[in-house]
Amino acid sequence: MKKLYWYILAITFIAGIVWFWPEQDQEIRASVSVAEAMGGDDDEGYLRATGPREFTFPDDHGPHPGFRTEWWYYTGNVFTEEGRQFGYQFTIFRNQMSPPDNTTNGQAFGEDWDTNQLYLGHFAISDVENEDHVFEERYSRGAAGLAGAQVEPYRIWLEDWEVLRVDAENADDKNFPVRVTAEMETGSKIELTITPAKPLVLQGEEGYDKKGAEEGNASYYLAFTRMDTEGLITKNGEEYQVSGSSWMDHEWSTSALDESQEGWDWFSLQLSNGYDLMYYQLRNGDGSVSDFTTGSFIDPEGNKTIINPEDVKLEVLNTWESPHSRSVYPSQWVMKIPKLDLELELATLFSDQEMDVSVRYFEGTLGVSGEMNGQQIGGNGFIEMTGYEQD
Amino acid sequence: MSKYSSDLLWLSSLRFLLQHPWHFALSILGVALGVSVVVSIDISNSSAKTAFSLSTEAVTGKATHQIQGAAEDLDEEVYQTIRIDGKIRKSAPVVEGYARITGVNRTFQVLGVDPIAEAPFRNFASQEAGIELSEFMAGENTGLIAESVAQELEVSIGDTLAISVGGRSFSIRLIGLIDTQDDRSRQALESLLVLDVSTAQRLFDMQGKLSQIDLILPQNAEENIIPELKTMLPDGADIIRSDSRTETVEQMTRAFEFNLQALSMLALLVGMFLIYNTMTFSVVQRRPLIGRLRALGVTKNEILAIVLKEAVLIGLLGTVIGMISGIFLAQVLVKLVTQSINDLYFVLSVQELTIGFFPLAKGALLGIGATLIASFWPAREASQAEVSTVLRRSSNESKITKRILPLAIIGVSAGLAGLGILLIPNGGIAAGYSSLLFMIVGFSLIIPMLIVGMAKVLRPVLGKVNGLIGKMSVRGVVTELSRTSVAIAALVVAVAATVGVGVMVDSFRTTVVSWLESQLQADVYVQPPSSVSRNADSELVPMLVDILKETEGVAESHTVRSVDVRTNNGTDNLVAIDQGEAARNTYQLKEGDSGFWQDYTEENILMVSEVYAYRNEVGLGDSLFIVTDRGRQGFEIRAINFDYASDIGTITINREIYNQYFEDEAISGLALYAEDGVEVDELVERLRERSKGLQEVFIRSNKGLREASIEIFDRTFTVTVVLRMLAILVAFIGVLSALMALQLERSRELAVLRANGMTPGQLWNYVITQTGVMGVMAGILSVPLGILMAYILVYVINLRSFGWTLQFMISSEVLIQAVALAVVAALLAGIYPSWKMAKTNPADALRNE
Repeated sequence: MKKLYWYILAITFIAGIVWFWPEQDQEIRASVSVAEAMGGDDDEGYLRATGPREFTFPDDHGPHPGFRTEWWYYTGNVFTEEGRQFGYQFTIFRNQMSPPDNTTNGQAFGEDWDTNQLYLGHFAISDVENEDHVFEERYSRGAAGLAGAQVEPYRIWLEDWEVLRVDAENADDKNFPVRVTAEMETGSKIELTITPAKPLVLQGEEGYDKKGAEEGNASYYLAFTRMDTEGLITKNGEEYQVSGSSWMDHEWSTSALDESQEGWDWFSLQLSNGYDLMYYQLRNGDGSVSDFTTGSFIDPEGNKTIINPEDVKLEVLNTWESPHSRSVYPSQWVMKIPKLDLELELATLFSDQEMDVSVRYFEGTLGVSGEMNGQQIGGNGFIEMTGYEQD
Repeated sequence: MSKYSSDLLWLSSLRFLLQHPWHFALSILGVALGVSVVVSIDISNSSAKTAFSLSTEAVTGKATHQIQGAAEDLDEEVYQTIRIDGKIRKSAPVVEGYARITGVNRTFQVLGVDPIAEAPFRNFASQEAGIELSEFMAGENTGLIAESVAQELEVSIGDTLAISVGGRSFSIRLIGLIDTQDDRSRQALESLLVLDVSTAQRLFDMQGKLSQIDLILPQNAEENIIPELKTMLPDGADIIRSDSRTETVEQMTRAFEFNLQALSMLALLVGMFLIYNTMTFSVVQRRPLIGRLRALGVTKNEILAIVLKEAVLIGLLGTVIGMISGIFLAQVLVKLVTQSINDLYFVLSVQELTIGFFPLAKGALLGIGATLIASFWPAREASQAEVSTVLRRSSNESKITKRILPLAIIGVSAGLAGLGILLIPNGGIAAGYSSLLFMIVGFSLIIPMLIVGMAKVLRPVLGKVNGLIGKMSVRGVVTELSRTSVAIAALVVAVAATVGVGVMVDSFRTTVVSWLESQLQADVYVQPPSSVSRNADSELVPMLVDILKETEGVAESHTVRSVDVRTNNGTDNLVAIDQGEAARNTYQLKEGDSGFWQDYTEENILMVSEVYAYRNEVGLGDSLFIVTDRGRQGFEIRAINFDYASDIGTITINREIYNQYFEDEAISGLALYAEDGVEVDELVERLRERSKGLQEVFIRSNKGLREASIEIFDRTFTVTVVLRMLAILVAFIGVLSALMALQLERSRELAVLRANGMTPGQLWNYVITQTGVMGVMAGILSVPLGILMAYILVYVINLRSFGWTLQFMISSEVLIQAVALAVVAALLAGIYPSWKMAKTNPADALRNE
């Protein structure tokens, strides 16, 4: 009998502990279910790129609210004095979340917190020597001073990541040096002064770049294809004094790709003989190359020659399968442009330069070698590849 | 002895219990009631606590620190500074407040966030959880609630919720539901309305402001990061640990919870008396049996073991029943406890009980432990007695007669010990309660002596009224003192507990009512609806204030502003009044001279309430440092006032001084004086008419506000009243069981009386008179003990818990109620035995003889 009491007590006790135990230190977790984003792909109400337009500067270096998407895209290859190479990518995207007339109050750049402008930042450093690619993505609303783009003074920023105009003697409204500053949470950092070395290029048809058959599937596209770059790169706690060359694209649109198009491969190459080549091919869902593939060849003085898809023969020599996404990206190419007497061998300087962020893509530094007009040439470049996601 | 024989003993004891089912059942009931009250209070308290910590956890998320401004809000530019210049990536802006959603009867906590910054803090409010940014932050009033709340409201995504914030109405389009993944999360998120920062700013009229900035800082932040961040903050803003808020809140409710627990222990104490009573009876009744067993060779220890085993059985059964009923009772109590917390301290919504291990374990321990303790002496007595004397009952009676004096002496010493405990400086609440316990025990030990004394007075009186039977009844009480005194003591303690609590509540109420009379000098009061009754946490729309002031018939007006500020004593409520010198008529000073009112408009001086002074151990002449928008400022305490509205205490300063240090134009309340000859009720009507469409506010006459305040007061004491009712119930059952058992046990004696010619009617008279006499005695004795208890509750426990000065108020109503309770219970207890004995053939009852 006596034993029984102890059994009862012990069982109650143990049961109590078991009951009580798992309550500790659990995180309050929840997800949010939302209505299917209403007309997320509906372009209704946004401004569209429907044809060539007049650009005015410095205004057109600034933001174009009303268009759904806009980006300021810096890529570059820089070297330490000893010749150690780093690639970098620094991009600020502006995303308009609802058509311009759809907001009840507050325009894009008000003091208030409410906004339909969302800013995204992508920042990556490719450490070629260590084959190490570090990157970070940031978001912010384009309000309350947290992120934005403005012309006077020229500043494109997302929190402490920013592109800021710096004064220089020979600067004008179109061409001026900027300082790009960004730091990742890990401490990797760039502080670069970037000065255009060639005039601004209006890509496509005087800056109007048609990307699909459908009316309005086009963007406005401005570029500085060669910019002198100087400054500091910090990675793994080490600071490096670097110099080299950058490329900047400023592009805005509401919709670019047709439904049949799946992705693109976008090359920006700076050749050792002073020429720059931009070439992108849009890929259709069936694997074929879209008719709206285009490029431009910029001579050392900044004169542009348009390149059409039929001018280019691009062959993939090798591929790389990403261990992160299982996507298979091309990693080595031969590009032939008989019209320019140009034949280039291109290869990513190391394989893993995938941007594993909210929208996954590949953005990597390229090694360039080949021949132009019978002359051996080298160069640096960047390749951006999208649409290789495995379903 | 072998195992079998001890089992035989156990069987005989079980048999005995089953043969006295009433008795057995009542003793189990006694334990059960005591346990159930303790368990239910504990469960209510812990449920409230869990709900609070869950909602805090949900709101605080994983923040380690928070940046707060001086007076409840912070300039939003601080966020830019911290995030961009300070490079604190794990930082998130928060705009907080309360709102009511039409259709749900509870207050929701509004959390205004930037979903992009939220991920490290509160995953459910972050973009990563799936919030559609374009709908959330684009300027439309949209928000999220928990899925379970949506089901309760029968709304789905896309529907519009009607909400009200400080009397202003808004509609919020529901753009998402928070899918909780487990019970814990569901409970935590059930009272949350998640909005974008911009939406919350609009709702709370906080454009350009944030409530706070949440931070996650690394472990060693105190050394390097925090000092650096502090240099970036404007005056008045500070970085505090995020758990300091929880601490403040816990401190707030500590006394409240403790008192509830103490009251529940009181119920258990009364229950213990019942158990003691029951066990004594069961031993006394079996005295012949025990004697025979002892004569047959059963050892003392075996007798002791058997009696204790019985006690364990009663304890176990009572505990199990008590726990189960306690859980049910908790469902009622938790609502009352939550209501009180909401009225007094902060918004809390408890949707479900948290039945943890500890309340149950504590209940079990108390139930079984109390039974064992209470039955130890009866058990010992049964086992210690000599075989020969055990067989005679009278020996026991002669023993107690000898013990009356020693018992009384022990009782007096216990009482003195109780008094001694009271005198311990800084004894705290616990000491107050233990002193109370000593006094109760002490008093009950004196009871046998008092009964003898009272019997001497009552015998001639009843002799005159009821002749021989009257005299016999009284004598019966004395001759069977060993049993009657325990029954009466149980009754006294139980009834005294109700007197004590009753007098305390009455005293409190009287004090508050008279304080309100002097405090409410103006004719009409205007207040925005507030989520915590005693804390003005919302603001009046400025235009409304102007319109009301200019209403025809208004002679004069003044305003108050109530904000939470940080001081050297923690987070305190600061009230700024713009009444000028006239305030001297409104506020009653406990300490300080009237010169205060001349100086307080110009100097950095202030007034604190007595509760504040007590809690923070400050007095006249002391300095108080307040974090203001102009930095930390010192103020001198020059007056201490009576204030029964807040048990946390308030600081009062002049509005002009306040304006010098705070960037805050807001008004929390408006008092209006009617012109001579203007009917106040008419003025109220006129004012209500003029306020329409601007803001939903309470416009109440002096009388209306007084009534509303008293209503809230009464509501906060509902828990206490319910506990008192439970104590009464325990007392009632105790009396019933004690006296009924007493009379049933005397069946043989009564049979002898019947056999000697007493008629059934006379038997009725005899039994009823006797129980009545015991009831009267208990009723009378409960009065002094009750008043003593009330005295300790008011002057020691209240003072040590809250620091209030209360007027001691004994209403005859409470006393009459107590005596009536005792007498009615006693009379009822007599009915069944009388009826039974009157019906039984005396021969049957005597057959065993």
